Amino acid sequence: MKKNNILLKTLLMSTSSFNIYRHTTDKKKKGKIVGGFIGLLILYAMLMFYFIATCIGYGKFGLIDSAPELCALSISAMAFIFTFFKTNGYLFNFKEYDMLMALPFEAKTVASCKFLYMYVKSLGWYMSISLSMMIGYGIYAKPGIITYILWIVLSFFLPIIPMLIAAFLGFLIARVSAGFKKTNIIQTILMVLLVLFSFSIRFILEDIFRNNKTEDVLNQMSGITGNASGYYLPAKWFADAITKSSISSTMLLIGVSVLLFIGIFALVGRSYRNINSSLKNHAASKSYKMTALKTRSVQNSIAFKELRRFLGSTSYLVNGGMGQILCAIAGILVLIVGFDNALVMITQNAPFEHSVVRPAIPFIVYFFIGMVATTACSPSLEGKNYWIIKSLPLDMKTVYQGKMLFNMYITVPFMVFGILCLCISSKTPFIESVLYIILGIALCAFSTAWGCVCGVKHLKLDWENEIEVIKQSSAVVIYMFPNMILTMLLAALSVFLGRLMDNRLLTIIFIMFEGVLASLCYLRVMALAKKNK
Amino acid sequence: MSAMLEIKNYTKSYGSGKKAADNVTLTVEAGDIFGFIGHNGAGKSTTIRAVVGVLDFTEGEILIDGHSVKTEPIECKKVTAYIPDNPDLYENLTGIQYLNFVADVFGIGAQEREEVIKKYADEFEITDSLGDLISSYSHGMKQKVAIISALIHSPKLLVLDEPFVGLDPKAAFKLKEIMHEMCDKGTAIFFSTHVLDVAEKLCNKVAIIKQGRIIDVGTMEELTEGHSLEEVFLEADNEEK
Repeated sequence: MKKNNILLKTLLMSTSSFNIYRHTTDKKKKGKIVGGFIGLLILYAMLMFYFIATCIGYGKFGLIDSAPELCALSISAMAFIFTFFKTNGYLFNFKEYDMLMALPFEAKTVASCKFLYMYVKSLGWYMSISLSMMIGYGIYAKPGIITYILWIVLSFFLPIIPMLIAAFLGFLIARVSAGFKKTNIIQTILMVLLVLFSFSIRFILEDIFRNNKTEDVLNQMSGITGNASGYYLPAKWFADAITKSSISSTMLLIGVSVLLFIGIFALVGRSYRNINSSLKNHAASKSYKMTALKTRSVQNSIAFKELRRFLGSTSYLVNGGMGQILCAIAGILVLIVGFDNALVMITQNAPFEHSVVRPAIPFIVYFFIGMVATTACSPSLEGKNYWIIKSLPLDMKTVYQGKMLFNMYITVPFMVFGILCLCISSKTPFIESVLYIILGIALCAFSTAWGCVCGVKHLKLDWENEIEVIKQSSAVVIYMFPNMILTMLLAALSVFLGRLMDNRLLTIIFIMFEGVLASLCYLRVMALAKKNK
Repeated sequence: MSAMLEIKNYTKSYGSGKKAADNVTLTVEAGDIFGFIGHNGAGKSTTIRAVVGVLDFTEGEILIDGHSVKTEPIECKKVTAYIPDNPDLYENLTGIQYLNFVADVFGIGAQEREEVIKKYADEFEITDSLGDLISSYSHGMKQKVAIISALIHSPKLLVLDEPFVGLDPKAAFKLKEIMHEMCDKGTAIFFSTHVLDVAEKLCNKVAIIKQGRIIDVGTMEELTEGHSLEEVFLEADNEEK
């Protein structure tokens, strides 16, 4: 236990901005830490505002009793997804594995501390959701003091079970992959398959829970959460503990969390060294024969290097390429089931003319592809290898162009494919389809250049684990939020204006707008490149 | 002298069937300075990483102070210290925070750790930098912190992978001195190197590894028989071709 505390404390301290702030003399770095902290507080505030507003919505429609279930399910879903994507990189295959395993730690101690580290680092997000919903619940339900105490205490346990399930699935995938020659590739494929399976489960569950006669959206949501918590017992235990002050439910949630934690890490500990050995070591075939080598332009060469990096890292590939895979699958599915049927499925038979959605086709596809841009993290991913680029006779302009080119290579084909599928399926006229494709490419260009602005502006080379820059860096968060809000606004605008004016003209306006945005972002990247020279 | 490290028929295979280490057998006794030499990719680091319990292995047995690395890893690690060729330390800790962490793990008392850290930090001339973040250190300074952290619990077996890479001449000399001191006190030292001159001057025993197999092992006198280690190494290498 003592060793667990030492290791956990050190892991947390080793990535703590406060520790860096205390010991660095670099004023710029200190400024960045303060800026990052303020940004984080703003994000917490936004998240809390959203969940308090949700609770108020529930309260106004007399559904406040569903708030604890919604809270439990929201946190559980978030905890599961975040942990699953981080397992490879945090729990396995991490940088300091050799150093830690050479010290007298049991394998299960290292694995469990890495898990607890993930838990503590993400607890702020879960607590901000939980506490804001507690406030919303408190306003309408006016519960006794014991409810508040239970809510706060159980909030600490809520993310544990979904995190353990995600970690265990990650462990199983790593365990299976360890038996193969191409461990990383098998691991990536299995992770992608599991994500696809999770998505299909979501649709199956929604289909089970869906009540076509329900008119009130909130009522429907409440019904879904109620049904879901019936299947996901920890959410039910939490809700019972809060609404009925049930001691048995409280004990169950705490007890199962603790027992699962002990059980899973006893199991993980057994294969931990074997899995990491497989993931971290690769046999050299020594069978290369010198052949004619291809030459490429500098930008293409950088893009190709980026591709190798992308394909060589499970975390990078799964996080950066999932949207494209989902887009391709969704495109094929829409072709098979038809555009109208797909809309019926998504909008649950809502009565509206389906053709009004057509102008939003490029934005719908962009939701799959554009929410992650490799350019937001690739400058930081250079990490300790930054010297290679800096020592080559290249200006940073060329380097960033290469990185942007790579993002265009992996987004444009999927964007075009997705739009084509939707256009064919919705019987969109030829000229309109061509314009949608051009708009799609403009959206990719914007995503690429905006990602690069964020990636260069919030460059972080001193990371301990690549997941830090792939998934949770300031650059990625700053890229994602405005991008998401802007896309939602433009999609809504396209549907609204599409009913008032010619679709072709509207699309040309959007192309020009996105083109201007992309150009401005590109110019900003070039300016930053000049500054970083 | 008692055997501190026994590697018996150690074999490490990959999924492709390729062997990174093939039937490696050697013994390092207390007081030995044992040099492990070979080409790049010969299997030195793979063997060393298995010895310190980092890498799982397919066949064979590795014993440290009589304990099996496979079945009693914690007992083995308690008496072992490892310095990798490229130490991955926690960059956002200060040097002293990292050393304190390692001392905590080994349960070293406050006074003892202070004495050891001060002694070696002074010898390596990095005392003034211990309060700075490791991310601000040069490769050599990181190497020095890794060396101090390895000495903090007075190990019975010191395992080093290319320890002289990145060290300035003064620090390299100091490390050699420390190795001699430890060896006099009965510590066994097992290290890999490319620098044959260093191995020749420092070691009493040597093993030459090629393509995962030991091709020559013995005391320095037995191996060299009046020739230089460089000559012996090149000759053994040619014979195996």
